[in-house]
Amino acid sequence: MRYEMKPKHEQRMKALLPDSQDFQKYNEIIHTSPKNFIRCNTLKISTDELFKQLSEKWKMSQPFPGHPEIMLIESQLGPGELGNSIEHILGYYYVQEISSMLSVIALAPEPGDYILDMCASPGSKTTQIAAKMENKGTLIANDLKMDRIRILSANLEKAGASNTIITRNDAVQLCLNLAKKNIKFDKILLDAPCSGEGTIRSSPKTLLMWNENMIYKFSRIQKKLISTALKCLKAGGTLVYSTCTHAPEEDEEIIDYVLSNFPVKVEQIKLPIQCRPGITKWEKSSFNPEVQKTCRIYPQDNDSEGFFVSKITLLEEIQ
Amino acid sequence: MTVNFIRSSEKRRIIEQLTNMYGIEELPFLLLWWGKERIRGYSGHLSKEEIMQLSQLVNIEGVGMYLLKQEDAESDFRLSFDSLHILKDQISKSIITLNKEQMEQWLRGKDIQMQHEKGAYIIRYDGMFIGTAKSNGIVLFNYVPKDRRIRRQ
Repeated sequence: MRYEMKPKHEQRMKALLPDSQDFQKYNEIIHTSPKNFIRCNTLKISTDELFKQLSEKWKMSQPFPGHPEIMLIESQLGPGELGNSIEHILGYYYVQEISSMLSVIALAPEPGDYILDMCASPGSKTTQIAAKMENKGTLIANDLKMDRIRILSANLEKAGASNTIITRNDAVQLCLNLAKKNIKFDKILLDAPCSGEGTIRSSPKTLLMWNENMIYKFSRIQKKLISTALKCLKAGGTLVYSTCTHAPEEDEEIIDYVLSNFPVKVEQIKLPIQCRPGITKWEKSSFNPEVQKTCRIYPQDNDSEGFFVSKITLLEEIQ
Repeated sequence: MTVNFIRSSEKRRIIEQLTNMYGIEELPFLLLWWGKERIRGYSGHLSKEEIMQLSQLVNIEGVGMYLLKQEDAESDFRLSFDSLHILKDQISKSIITLNKEQMEQWLRGKDIQMQHEKGAYIIRYDGMFIGTAKSNGIVLFNYVPKDRRIRRQ
């Protein structure tokens, strides 16, 4: 079944995109399925070994030279083929859309880091972080609900991640509790709950569920989350804030909010796919020009899902 | 969840047993009991004291990864499906290699008719470890977790 954009959603997307041709391209691509990207789990197998093994059954490529772990399956796949392969069962790869890999590329985890993933389930980005950390240092993977924790836990087991501690807490309360005892992280990933406008290609029902009030509701939650996240970040530490939505209230407005209220700077990010700079004006609001350093990923630019990524450095510790 | 660390003397006993069973000589983890039978391993940088402090501040649902299960006999340990890959370079004993047809049955959760001495084994196919088994002499009993089996199309 094909769902269409609601009129208000369409009006907002037209206002966000520079011209009608761009909107046309956007509106066409969101009705197609995304490409089959996978990420090699380097905790269990090397990229060379996995690429060789999978090339025996599928047409494969590694489209990004600096990121050999990202692989594209170019063959037409049958239903369930990707999930039922022996390499998937053994946890040698994780099925993950390219845009969802960008937050961790921006975070640049290293072995030995102390990292907090605030809203971690289902664990795509958490397992990506653990692989980059080579199971050294510590990764706290938090989520709120038990059913989401179960999925997160299963995915971390499958990835062979042994440097993780899974916690079940309200993310705001978690940060407040840790900050009280002066527990601070080198890096924090806040892949925030959002209205999901960028996920239409894999989940077309998003079009049906789209609701402008949700955007405002999420925006309030995201401001709360990012404010408390900064309280448990070390001075000089990195926070990556990302969403899978295009709504500026959930993207640039959040970064503008932290720029106005906390000692932070926005960092330029180098990503392997085309991104557009953050916008500085939306409806009646104007944002700090620094938000232009954030990245907007539109599906029509890269044949991907839609996404937003930003990287912030905390200049001095917040008490 | 209660965090229950394993003492170093107990860890030595576990490693000794794993050496006898599978040739594993090192467990570079902080070991914890998770429930009565399961053992998890944490490879991160936090000390026992720091993890205990953390457990008083937040709800901890898991530390590290599930490595081993202590079987009925206290000295008998079965490796978890995923720890096989993490410990693969050390595993040198009690390995049974399957052919393609047997592997397809195995990953569907089927037991395999095969004569071996009674005991615990690690199953390999084409250089990959694909689970653990127990033999009663004539059948290899399948321990591939249900959520990791090939699903019917």
